[in-house]
Amino acid sequence: MGSPKRVVVTGMGLVTPLGLDLASVQSKLFAGQTGIGPISAFDRTQYRSQNGGEVSSEALAAALDSQKWRPTTDRATDMLLVAAAQALRQASLLPPETETHLVDASQDEIAVLVGSGLGASQHVTESWETYYSQGKRGLRHTTIPRCMMNSVSSHVSISFGLKGPNYVISSACASSTIALGQGFRMIRNADVRRVLVGGTDAMFIEPLYAGWDKLGVMSRHSDPAQACRPFDLNRDGFVLGEGSGALVLESLADASSRGATIYAELLGYGESSDASHITRPSAVGQAAAMAAALRSASLQPKDIDFINAHGTATKANDSCESEAICQIFGPPKKQPWVVAAKSLFGHSLGASGVVETIAAIISLGHGRLHPNLNLEHPDPLCNLNLVGQESLDIPLKTCMKNSFGFGGGNAVLILGGPDTAV
Amino acid sequence: MDRNEIIEKLRTIVLRNSQSDLGQRAVSEQDRIDSLGIDSLAMLDLIYDLQQEFGIEMDPQDLIPVVTIGDLVTMIKSRVSA
Repeated sequence: MGSPKRVVVTGMGLVTPLGLDLASVQSKLFAGQTGIGPISAFDRTQYRSQNGGEVSSEALAAALDSQKWRPTTDRATDMLLVAAAQALRQASLLPPETETHLVDASQDEIAVLVGSGLGASQHVTESWETYYSQGKRGLRHTTIPRCMMNSVSSHVSISFGLKGPNYVISSACASSTIALGQGFRMIRNADVRRVLVGGTDAMFIEPLYAGWDKLGVMSRHSDPAQACRPFDLNRDGFVLGEGSGALVLESLADASSRGATIYAELLGYGESSDASHITRPSAVGQAAAMAAALRSASLQPKDIDFINAHGTATKANDSCESEAICQIFGPPKKQPWVVAAKSLFGHSLGASGVVETIAAIISLGHGRLHPNLNLEHPDPLCNLNLVGQESLDIPLKTCMKNSFGFGGGNAVLILGGPDTAV
Repeated sequence: MDRNEIIEKLRTIVLRNSQSDLGQRAVSEQDRIDSLGIDSLAMLDLIYDLQQEFGIEMDPQDLIPVVTIGDLVTMIKSRVSA
């Protein structure tokens, strides 16, 4: 076995409440414009939490139409296909226009790894609804292939003819960060030539949303713009935000030899499990994943310029994550800058890892951190070096990206900016 | 329900489930179903839509002898009137 390969990002795609292309998302991120609004997908008035980050259905339909794709009728799949096409196109692996045939014919060397907490959630929900309303007559003969957890990654593989391994990684809100970590290992070990890592979750489907509402972990703030308040004293829970993201990973050597633009380098990855509680996070488990990621990157805490936090804005997550960051980095004056993107995108569950990693890569590329919206009174229990409510211009070379999921899965990536990959 | 009414509803369902880009083309009784972008999996979704549209019961096995749109119209007509 040869020496480990350096792993770089050569393409990115986003479908989020902030927009369906990188440029729109970037401008709104830096301007601090949230994608959260009153939920329109169903009658929200009976729920305690009535705000969310929704992807424009009209824009999604137009994006599918521009690819000459018919909607699959599963929203998580449709969003992922659009994000994947953007990422492959930015990596110059697809022609610039509408074609879905790869420029480079090495289809068998491209893997598809998708992180998703809910999978084909629309198909699953609609299948059970028609079953309970009409009996077995209401169930499609294609229920199983529509609803299987790996349908989201398989549709990407089939649509673009990607013949490397294709599967879904599901670990709640850590799902797509784990997928990135697994993709990192695949390239580092030269198992495959390229990996398309995706993340997707659609949760504004009423029975699913009702479940989240019942759990009592979402903000009940009436003003959508102020509902999501990571690390703020007056935070009262997260706000859901649907979306998808995709990144193309390949080795630095491969990317350089074909003249691909490099947007970031993946320097390390660490993961752990809390093994303690199905929903309550553990600072011990989170700190273990952060330490493992730093070891994997052969970096010290002082080498990190900013942390893109999990930062859900629940009481429990933010104080727990703060404790873990303090364990690894020490008091605020020794810490890197800390930002949380969920006040902008909402919480996209299994997709949040890739969506927020792309936000972090945008920051690395521009030397600018987006604001922590609604951070009016930082919680004393969140003893962090937090970016304020305005974006911050500062040289940035390295980032730690945290993702922690229900079930106790913790995943942490270390990223380097485009300048480190030379 | 006469054959023309059935074929018009069938056309919408075939176009919805086709894997090919058929545009808004007409569908005739002589068309082979497999020439309209309906593979075995799409056929399963087509059966579901037929059940919902015409209020009939169908099993995928029933479709084995069905080759053309005309065959399908005959089967639907017999079940609708049964």
